[in-house]
Amino acid sequence: MNAAPVTMTLLQTCVMAVLQAICVVLFVFIIVPLTIYAERKVLGFAQDRLGATRIAGHRVGLTGWLNRGMWRMGKVPFLSYWRGLPMLVGDIAKLFLKEDIVPTKADRAIFLVAPALSLIASVVVFAAVSFYPGALFTFPKIVPIIGGLPFNGCITDMNVGLLFILGIASVGVYGIVLGAWASNSKYPLLGGLRSGAQIVSYEVPLTLSLLAPVVLTGTLNFNKMTLALATEMPLYAVPILFVSFFVYFTCGFAETNRMPFDMPEAENELVAGFHTEYSGMRFGFFYLAEYINMVVVTAIASAFFLGGPYLAPFGLHRYIMHVPFLGAPNGLWFVAKMILLLFTFIWVRGTIPRYRYDQVMAVAWKYLIPFTLILVLLAAMVRYAAPALPVA
Amino acid sequence: MKNFLKTLIPVDIYKGLKLTGTHFMKVFTTANRRKVKMHVTQEYPEVPVKLAPRFRGRLTMLKDEQGEIKCVCCLACEKICPTQVITIESGKKEGRKTKIPTRYDFEMERCIFCEFCVESCGFDSIILNHQFELAAYNREDFSIGMLGKDQNMFELTHVGKFSYSDED
Repeated sequence: MNAAPVTMTLLQTCVMAVLQAICVVLFVFIIVPLTIYAERKVLGFAQDRLGATRIAGHRVGLTGWLNRGMWRMGKVPFLSYWRGLPMLVGDIAKLFLKEDIVPTKADRAIFLVAPALSLIASVVVFAAVSFYPGALFTFPKIVPIIGGLPFNGCITDMNVGLLFILGIASVGVYGIVLGAWASNSKYPLLGGLRSGAQIVSYEVPLTLSLLAPVVLTGTLNFNKMTLALATEMPLYAVPILFVSFFVYFTCGFAETNRMPFDMPEAENELVAGFHTEYSGMRFGFFYLAEYINMVVVTAIASAFFLGGPYLAPFGLHRYIMHVPFLGAPNGLWFVAKMILLLFTFIWVRGTIPRYRYDQVMAVAWKYLIPFTLILVLLAAMVRYAAPALPVA
Repeated sequence: MKNFLKTLIPVDIYKGLKLTGTHFMKVFTTANRRKVKMHVTQEYPEVPVKLAPRFRGRLTMLKDEQGEIKCVCCLACEKICPTQVITIESGKKEGRKTKIPTRYDFEMERCIFCEFCVESCGFDSIILNHQFELAAYNREDFSIGMLGKDQNMFELTHVGKFSYSDED
């Protein structure tokens, strides 16, 4: 699968990394606004509404003035009416243009750093996420510095990719807690404390549910794990992966502060939770971080449990291995699975109301952690019983 | 044990997801079609609203097939009107046995759209139509009668000329 290692100079490595980083950032910042748009529409459809259909009034404001000409010509003004999609532009413009207020009594330095910390922690994770095993394509020789080099499906193929992801992802809670504390206001503080307790609690079952695949594959390398989980699993490991997928996904909801577990910003108790005092682009950072975290969780879930770039989930790849198009690994499958899971995120938000705080913590400590420990035990037994599994 | 299993196997969550999922699919597949609509909201200013058949809009007088005014000036509507917005003056017309209104004034600014007048009418000569965009800038626009072009009892009036639907 992996091509022969190409020796690269430092300059080549740097240029390559920058190029790949740009690609990944573009991908993230395309899929995140689309998720925000999808959230509006999917929630609307699930509640028998239409969701966002326009950004402008009929005749008010600049867009209204433009639209009036369109109505006169007997046409629906597509510029602001195209199924609410232009609302994304409006959203971003609003986030940039709004006044950025720092409360007088706030701890200024920490207040300013916290949103950036939250955003960075969620974006940096993509350094270790692999969208495709091996090289996507090779640059032609004509390209100045990087000619003849392969363009890999991941930025860095590190040996402890999963560990890196989990470590960086857990930094995100600092952004929330610090921002809440620096706001110097009681509701953000309560939200931040809740969020600290909740995220730290849910990190345990999250990591434990990812431990089952680690035990089964015997490696922490992202590419190797994806490959082994998709192709080399024995049939009796499938139920374990199936269950730990659901456990992981549940914890993912809690980690990203999404709807059934959105304790940090329980708006009917805590105004808006940790970002009550934030406005403008700093609020936008928190907002983006939440959605990028969603993308991270779905990326990891689709890579480890749903087969990643291989079409069949839960290690069932071997049954379609020889089908011409479907059997080959394809980055599109990866993205398709991510989109499916992102839809599930929104779908669950439209279905399940928020749990009580003690229920949230009880689910983590009383049910999920013992459950995942049993899963890890079962995974170890499977590994013991199947000597064919790879040894790192 | 039952409780434990219920927590472990999330049947309720599955049921809820199924419900919202079916609603999503129904609306998602029909949202942009003209004929079938599964969603309950309406895109009002651009698309004319569908009203319930019993919607109580503005008072309108009806004419029969020959173009004769159906009203026979029994004054039942004028008597029953709780806010007394109807004023009728009756007259005679050749070739017609019953009386015919020479004046039928309706001051909509005080009308409460209770439909008592329509209920009390024994000749089915008045109805409340489906015109609901009844805002106006002048008080005079609300006094509606039989004469004149803009404010008459027989057609949709000029009152709602600031409607979004038929602007331009």
